[in-house]
Amino acid sequence: MDKNIRIKKYLISALLLIFAGTVFSLFTGKYPLTFALLRGGNPQAVKVFLTLRLPRTCMALLGGFGLGAAGYVYQMVFRNPLASPDIIGVSSGASAGAAFGILFLSAGAFSVALASFLGGLAAVLLTLALTRLAPGRGQGTIVLAGIAVHSLAQTLLMILKLTADPERELASIEYWIMGSLSGISLYRLPFTAVVCFLCLAGIFVLHRQILLLSVDEEESRMLGVPVGKMRLTVLLLATLLTAAIISLTGLISFIGLIAPHTARLITRDNCFPTLLLGGLSGSFLLITADILARSVSSGELPVSIFTSLLGVPFLLYLMLKRA
Amino acid sequence: METSSLFLAENISCGYGGKEVLTEVSFSLPQGSMTGLLGANGSGKSTLLKALCRQIPHRGNCYLEGQSLANLSQRQLARRISYIPQQTGIHASLPLLEVVLMGFNPTLGLLQNPSVSQRNAARAALARVGLGGMENADYLTLSEGQKQLCILARTIVEDTSLLLLDEPDSALDFHNRYYGMGMLQKLLLGKNKAALICLHDPALALDFCSQLLILKDGKCTASLHPASDSLPRMKEALSDIYGPISLIRCTDSLGQKRLMLLSELVHFSNPPLTCPACPQQAAEYSSCNSPAAGDTPKGEPI
Repeated sequence: MDKNIRIKKYLISALLLIFAGTVFSLFTGKYPLTFALLRGGNPQAVKVFLTLRLPRTCMALLGGFGLGAAGYVYQMVFRNPLASPDIIGVSSGASAGAAFGILFLSAGAFSVALASFLGGLAAVLLTLALTRLAPGRGQGTIVLAGIAVHSLAQTLLMILKLTADPERELASIEYWIMGSLSGISLYRLPFTAVVCFLCLAGIFVLHRQILLLSVDEEESRMLGVPVGKMRLTVLLLATLLTAAIISLTGLISFIGLIAPHTARLITRDNCFPTLLLGGLSGSFLLITADILARSVSSGELPVSIFTSLLGVPFLLYLMLKRA
Repeated sequence: METSSLFLAENISCGYGGKEVLTEVSFSLPQGSMTGLLGANGSGKSTLLKALCRQIPHRGNCYLEGQSLANLSQRQLARRISYIPQQTGIHASLPLLEVVLMGFNPTLGLLQNPSVSQRNAARAALARVGLGGMENADYLTLSEGQKQLCILARTIVEDTSLLLLDEPDSALDFHNRYYGMGMLQKLLLGKNKAALICLHDPALALDFCSQLLILKDGKCTASLHPASDSLPRMKEALSDIYGPISLIRCTDSLGQKRLMLLSELVHFSNPPLTCPACPQQAAEYSSCNSPAAGDTPKGEPI
């Protein structure tokens, strides 16, 4: 019971940290927004707050949580501590989709987001279809098919980059791949938010089955898990979640990998609190990285720089502390 | 003495990649007791267990309580059969309680969580296998033997009518081996349950199993009943898989009649053993007539 109290303490401190991050995030940026301006009803301040700062902050919280939770699912289902959305090709598919959108559709943010969402989804469906071809259909087959699709999408991305105009298009492709929350605005958030909430709800209620999927296939089948269907469902949920987020933000590295590990170093197991804490550490990491991305220099910097810069030392600290 | 059979397997055959591993294996399992599955390494024991719970494709039919297993859904199958593989496939850190609670999954709805009484039952099962108070310990940090005890607790809460256990004792110490088997025996006794257990320790099988199936090269060559079969018949069947053996009927210190099995391969070991009674080498051991040589073990060798 001592352990439960410890985990509760961590959950509460995570929530407090996130709250602090949220307040910071709402009042950081190029436009000098202050609480007084908002209370005074300054129309410009209210507009910036409602259409830019609030959606951006919400996206950082939701996106971080989603990437952390999805990372947990991938690591459990593939029984691999290094598993990430890349393993079944979703992020490279989304990149290729975004590049396609930038080159051939309008450069508008919405079409790029849609193209990358569809790209990520197509990559995963292709991976799963390839898996169906093999007789065994075990998780090893999924990983192999994922590697094939990942390479295919990378090749496609390379070809698209070659045909891109290096001045503008290539730059936007590269910038997309590095990830940023600068493009989030009020009217683009709802779709992603709905998809995220639905997928997260699915992952939460299926949590016990995800634990069972981490057990060897024959054993979990004899524990009454319809392994094939359940694995497909859970992977699709995690993938939709990831695709919905990165289609808006571009690739955000490291959160899916590090957030569940952070949680695991605290809880020392893989039960429900780990999923919750994994999501929360993802939120905190992303919101902090986003604050830094828009305040360190005069321009916007890619958020992935900061997720890695923040994540690596933290992981090392936890590693050393445990040893 | 005669008990009705709970499970019936007819002509089970299967193979991997064109090579036949099991040929026409047929047997029945008596209700309320354990059946030991004995055989040399690679004789097809594990394959048979996997075929019975439909893990690998096979020919032949299985009937549990008169009902064919082929028509059951995976979930229905899991409600009736619990299976312990040779090595448990838990690779993620989980508290023991969570591992044991997995045993309730076949009876729980997909989105349902274990109830308080199920949690208590899981705790009781852990205490029963001697892991009481370790509910929050990490499964991965346990010793192999403790892992097997934990999985045994999971099997207890599964409460299925057929238990298929693939060497559940392989990492257990001497005491836990007998303790665990005794617990399984109690679990089955007088209930509508049966168990098929792969064992490498014939002494354990002779002590706890009402029936022994001998598997050799994928064929079931004999079915023994230690309580009623004659010693020569059992010796013949057992030496078919274990090589030269002595099978001895003896009485333990509590007056219980037991069967003891000793391998005679010791006489062929290298370097040769010396006779305890005289300095002659093992080659002449059998011909040594000194009284001490026939002294141990006490009993009537056949």
